[in-house]
Amino acid sequence: MNDRANEIAAIVSKHRERHGALLSILETVQRTNEHNYLPKQELVMVAKELGVPLSQVYSVVTFYAFFNLKAQGEHVITVCRGTACHTRGSKPLLDKVLHMLGIELDEDGMATTPDYRFTVHTVACFGQCALAPVIAIDGVIHSMVTEEKLTTMIEALSAHKEGA
Amino acid sequence: MDKKMVTLSVDGKTVTVPEGTRILDACKVAGIKVPSLCYLEDVSAHGSCGICVVEIEGFKRLVRSCLHTVQQDMVIHTHTDRVMRARKLNLELLLANHPLLCTTCERNLNCELQSLALQLGVRESRFERTKKSLLPIDSSSSSIIRDPNACILCNRCVEVCAKVQEVHAIEMMGRGLRTTVSTFFDEGLASSVCTNCGQCSLVCPTGAITEKSHESEVFDAIADPNLVVLVQTAPAIRVGLGEAMGLGEGSLVTGKMVSALRTLGFDRVFDTQFSADLTIMEESHELIHRLTSGGTLPMITSCSPGWIKFIETFYPEQLEHLSSCKSPQQMFGSIAKTYYAERAGIDPRKIRVVSIMPCTAKKFEAGRSEIDSAFSYWREQGSFTDDEYFCDVDYVLTTRELARMLQRIGIDFAHLEEGKFDDPLGQSTGSAVLFGATGGVMEAALRTAYETITKTTLDDLEFEQIRIGEGIREATIMIGETPLKVAVANTLANARVLLDQIQEGKSPYAFIEVMACPDGCIGGGGQPIPSTKEIRRKRAMSIYEEDRGMPIRKSHENPSIQELYTSFLVQPLGHLSHQLLHTTYVKRGEYPD
Ligand code: SF4
Ligand code: SF4
Ligand code: SF4
Ligand code: FES
Ligand code: FES
Repeated sequence: MNDRANEIAAIVSKHRERHGALLSILETVQRTNEHNYLPKQELVMVAKELGVPLSQVYSVVTFYAFFNLKAQGEHVITVCRGTACHTRGSKPLLDKVLHMLGIELDEDGMATTPDYRFTVHTVACFGQCALAPVIAIDGVIHSMVTEEKLTTMIEALSAHKEGA
Repeated sequence: MDKKMVTLSVDGKTVTVPEGTRILDACKVAGIKVPSLCYLEDVSAHGSCGICVVEIEGFKRLVRSCLHTVQQDMVIHTHTDRVMRARKLNLELLLANHPLLCTTCERNLNCELQSLALQLGVRESRFERTKKSLLPIDSSSSSIIRDPNACILCNRCVEVCAKVQEVHAIEMMGRGLRTTVSTFFDEGLASSVCTNCGQCSLVCPTGAITEKSHESEVFDAIADPNLVVLVQTAPAIRVGLGEAMGLGEGSLVTGKMVSALRTLGFDRVFDTQFSADLTIMEESHELIHRLTSGGTLPMITSCSPGWIKFIETFYPEQLEHLSSCKSPQQMFGSIAKTYYAERAGIDPRKIRVVSIMPCTAKKFEAGRSEIDSAFSYWREQGSFTDDEYFCDVDYVLTTRELARMLQRIGIDFAHLEEGKFDDPLGQSTGSAVLFGATGGVMEAALRTAYETITKTTLDDLEFEQIRIGEGIREATIMIGETPLKVAVANTLANARVLLDQIQEGKSPYAFIEVMACPDGCIGGGGQPIPSTKEIRRKRAMSIYEEDRGMPIRKSHENPSIQELYTSFLVQPLGHLSHQLLHTTYVKRGEYPD
């Protein structure tokens, strides 16, 4: 943890004088975090180093969707739960991927495998309803996803790491 | 320099106001009180609710009159059909997500949302609830309860906490439908930097922030025939309670308050002003001691528990500056359960001490573990076993809670006769009354310190320079030949200024008084709502009036205090005083480790 504390102190001092320092600092801290998120103790370090209230830091973190408050897996699978996707079978797809990975969604609609290989979460709508059902893997949108297609993609991702 | 004036028309009436005046205030000059909700003078202009809209010729859209200022020749219409429809719509949108549990809500009949619905003729919302689930209530704090479900996101509490108090315990979290006012990681106020000052509860327009109530516990204690229930009332109650009971702003109701408490069923009606005099004895001697023995200066007063938690949290390295004196509330508790219990022959285990305070932070203070000393006093004498532990102050009620209790028993407050406090813990002086307003502890301490040091009589008792006014005031008082430089601050933002000065080694003062709330306890977080600047000023004037009318105006001349020293404590700062009347503080820090 001490190394990480020094790292965070360095990030803060690099950005502190700049405009919008807090945002850039949080963004960098998240990016350099092992699991691409902002753990509570790292947010405390940021607040303390920068000398800003904890409440303000948390306000910023919860305002922007790109900040994660939970550890993220290497691969992030986003399943759309919008109406169009739902009608075209997004629920069975979601169940399938959760089953494959052996995890269950928490109250915020998110789940990560214990080995931090995969995170699954849902969104309200991708705005790509014509292509439903839509699933994003690591930010890449896949349209008209079927169970087979999904299985293949996830198996490929799992195999990749094991082979490496 | 005079401000430039601007002339404009409001509903066909011509008005001239200084440049920079808010449209809302200009309308007031024209005799129209534009309804508003999120706006709060001197505290917050968030511009989020859209209730205050007006129509201005030449502007396509309706204008939020709380946000925008007047311009020359503006033509404003405050109640066109379009305006009225927009206000109604905006209110209905807010009500769609509001629980509307008025009958059981603490703010029923004193709620801005409710009055607005009445005023705008809104009986129901055309809109469906958009928020899916109910949010958890934050009851972690010993002083404040926050119910985010009743929150209309007006931002007033956030502003008062950030700007008036510079505490930043709460913030708007999340976005869109998930926006709430909350603390770091939603951990609750108790784990936050919150000072329990309750200013947020004063400014909240709805029932979303209230004090943690102990009304039923107190009703139960009163009803228990085995208990002797003593009540003590802080100075600021006698100038606040009347408002909550339907009398005029700042009305002075000392005698009626005493009668009301007796009617409520308290066994003895005592006065925190008795222990305020005691505080002055200890504190002025502590000051003299520090001045003459090279102690840490400036010495800062310690009566305001919101202030104590603030310095413990944000300036833990400066705790030595705090007077070690307990607050009057706590001095009362320890004296009641030792000296008074002994004298009156009452088993201290059977005594319950209830305080009526203008303050929500007093609830937290009463629960501090290092503050209790009556039990250890008895324990040292071999009485009682450890599992019989009792605290010094059992329950703390705010002015608002007392008012509700009085309403519950149906008391006709306005026609009560003038009651008198019981002896001996009911006797007090003009100095003690002053504790209720900013500068009062300082003034009272100076009256006593002056006479103690110079051994001469102080002719002019009133220290105008340090009475209610700016957020920070200073004065140089001549004590004989020696000048004593003092400062007074109210609100925690102002306290910060004086602490930063100390930090930089530039504080010129020997003695500082800090009160957490605007204008002191009269503006405390437990006082009746509203508690505006104007109202606070009226409360302060009643405090000064009460002081002038007291037969004895200096703490050291209070005969019951003299008797307490003669027959029990022996002398200020003596051994027993240290045990019963002084305390220690906790180094907290702003960030968790
Ligand atoms: S906050 Fe006001 S409107 Fe809401 S339930 Fe309470 S009294 Fe009724
Ligand atoms: S009680 Fe005071 S410090 Fe605590 S949240 Fe409210 S305004 Fe802030
Ligand atoms: S809690 Fe009260 S003051 Fe704070 S934002 Fe909500 S309604 Fe406004
Ligand atoms: S519902 Fe899935 S993309 Fe719109
Ligand atoms: S009072 Fe003006 S926008 Fe709320």
